[in-house]
Amino acid sequence: MKEKFKRGKWKEFLDWAQNKSLSMLHYCTGCGAIELPPTMTSRYDMSRFGIGQAATPRQADLLLVTGYLSTKTLRRIIYTYEQMQEPKFVVGFGSCTINGGMYWDSYNTIKQLDKYLPVELYIAGCMPRPEAILDGFLELKQKIDSGEAKGYEEYEENIEFYHKNQEEVLGEVQRTQ
Amino acid sequence: MRNEKEVIELIEKNLSPLETEEKRAQNISVKFGPEDTIQALSFLKSKGYKQLSTISCVDWIDDNEFELVYHLYSYDDFINISVKTRIDREKAKFVTLKEVWPVAEFYERDIHDFFGVEFEGNDDLEELILENWNDIPPMRKDFDTRKFVNDEYEWRDYDGQKHTD
Amino acid sequence: MINILTTALHFIGITIFSAALGLFFMGIARKIVARIQKRYGPPIYQPYLDVIKLFGKKAITHGFIFDFGTIMAFGGVIATLFFVPLGAWTLYSLNGTVVLIIYLLAIASLGMAMGTVGSGNPQASIGISRALTQMLGYELPYLVILFGLIYKYQTSSVFGLAQAQAGGIMNWNLFTYPVATVLAFVILIGMTGKKPFDAMIAPSEIGSGPVVESGGKYLGMMMLQKSITIIVELALFVNLFLGGADNILSFSIKMLIVWILATMVGSLFPRFKIEEGVKFFWKWPLIIAIIQVLFIIY
Repeated sequence: MKEKFKRGKWKEFLDWAQNKSLSMLHYCTGCGAIELPPTMTSRYDMSRFGIGQAATPRQADLLLVTGYLSTKTLRRIIYTYEQMQEPKFVVGFGSCTINGGMYWDSYNTIKQLDKYLPVELYIAGCMPRPEAILDGFLELKQKIDSGEAKGYEEYEENIEFYHKNQEEVLGEVQRTQ
Repeated sequence: MRNEKEVIELIEKNLSPLETEEKRAQNISVKFGPEDTIQALSFLKSKGYKQLSTISCVDWIDDNEFELVYHLYSYDDFINISVKTRIDREKAKFVTLKEVWPVAEFYERDIHDFFGVEFEGNDDLEELILENWNDIPPMRKDFDTRKFVNDEYEWRDYDGQKHTD
Repeated sequence: MINILTTALHFIGITIFSAALGLFFMGIARKIVARIQKRYGPPIYQPYLDVIKLFGKKAITHGFIFDFGTIMAFGGVIATLFFVPLGAWTLYSLNGTVVLIIYLLAIASLGMAMGTVGSGNPQASIGISRALTQMLGYELPYLVILFGLIYKYQTSSVFGLAQAQAGGIMNWNLFTYPVATVLAFVILIGMTGKKPFDAMIAPSEIGSGPVVESGGKYLGMMMLQKSITIIVELALFVNLFLGGADNILSFSIKMLIVWILATMVGSLFPRFKIEEGVKFFWKWPLIIAIIQVLFIIY
């Protein structure tokens, strides 16, 4: 059991600022991305919660994995995740990231996202509606504000576990430095 | 502009098909032996069937044969023609269509990736959609996908109860 | 000694005030665009939170030239700020002229260009070459109008041009030369990078242009640089065409009105290609500006 150390005042302030302004990388991997444009535009407006859009991984905090991931896409998503700056968060969308979903018997998709990337939150549904997406984002913001969203630190600490799983499924991943 | 019966007459007069059939409106299917197919496709291209929509492959595992289907379309007659041939399943080899339609190179690469059919004359047959695949070509009917998935991947553990089958 | 200390405090005070006001204007712009699109937008203080968050992230650097380019862009625009009179705060503007400000504004873009050379991303170089081409486009009619004004009032310092419009509202250049004012407004839309002239940022096309490789602290600095650039350009417009102001409050209100109008116009259009943008600036605005200047001279 990891003991919860006390956050300093500065880190608390930074977490508060981080939860008020998230920038989301608009990377649409699977069929779930069809529910993102309604969430971003006028009807279920997402920007009133402070969540904006980022154009490149270097400017983003939040990576949304919307739907299934074939092994070809998983390789690119790992490159994208490792390019983002800390602190960074991953949210899994839909039931394909939880346990395979609709494509559970396909030879080419991965079944559990948890073994390759550290996931903060799953949003259930096939596809979740924009109200469910906004509910998930609000819970993510609360988690960031209270300091429990530490996925990026877990990635650093257990990096051999993640690398072993990645290389088992992908064959060989080219690492920088 | 020809209608379907005129196209069938045209084919039967100039080439030697094994079988022709008018399936429904604007849709014809023709069957050839493997030696005549390329010549038939070039002939049809010269008669106005300029678009090669795609090339598909069917696995007849009981007859021990692959069937290659070439889908052609004409903008003058507005008719789809499916040109079919059968090749052997053990030694799956065929001639490439690259010189007649340059785009056929990609369709043949796709079929090589998923069915394992070799095309002579096309020397660019690397993987198009799969990556680092080292099992039998996955679209063949003797590839058991559920067994593959249960061997390769683990299921999530919900308090001791895993996803079965 | 005390003189140096007070001058330094003046510098820091004006910089912080301009950055804060610029971020406030950016928040108002986002709210107006959101309301035009029939939705609630982010709260007005959202850019402040963005900047605070960005300075709290880790960032990686791509070498010395990348760092230096970012600092040069930021420093260049702060240096430009000191030559523009803001209401009654004229720091060094009595010594500088309009032409000085125009070419100091180019230093910021050159700084960003150096930063993109350091990052090595081809999308960044496309973005910055578009930005410099667009600057080439809009500066030509702007300089024609400015030379007309300099000839009329026989002075080329910004403060002098603002003072020459004193003595009541009808003396403003808005009412004596309305055509020149409208042209300068169109050019202002090009200068601040609003649609239809935002090919240099272009989020989906080239991944937001020159800042594509900046993350964390570098992006925070770029955002502050953008906010100060907005203040400099708006202050120039208000001083030249709306008569300046006596105190900082009425000056800010004039800048706010111009900014709201520019935002409302800029939210309606799609994006020009870069060749179309430059061709636009060199066709009708240039012809009308030349006619206007001939009208002034004779």
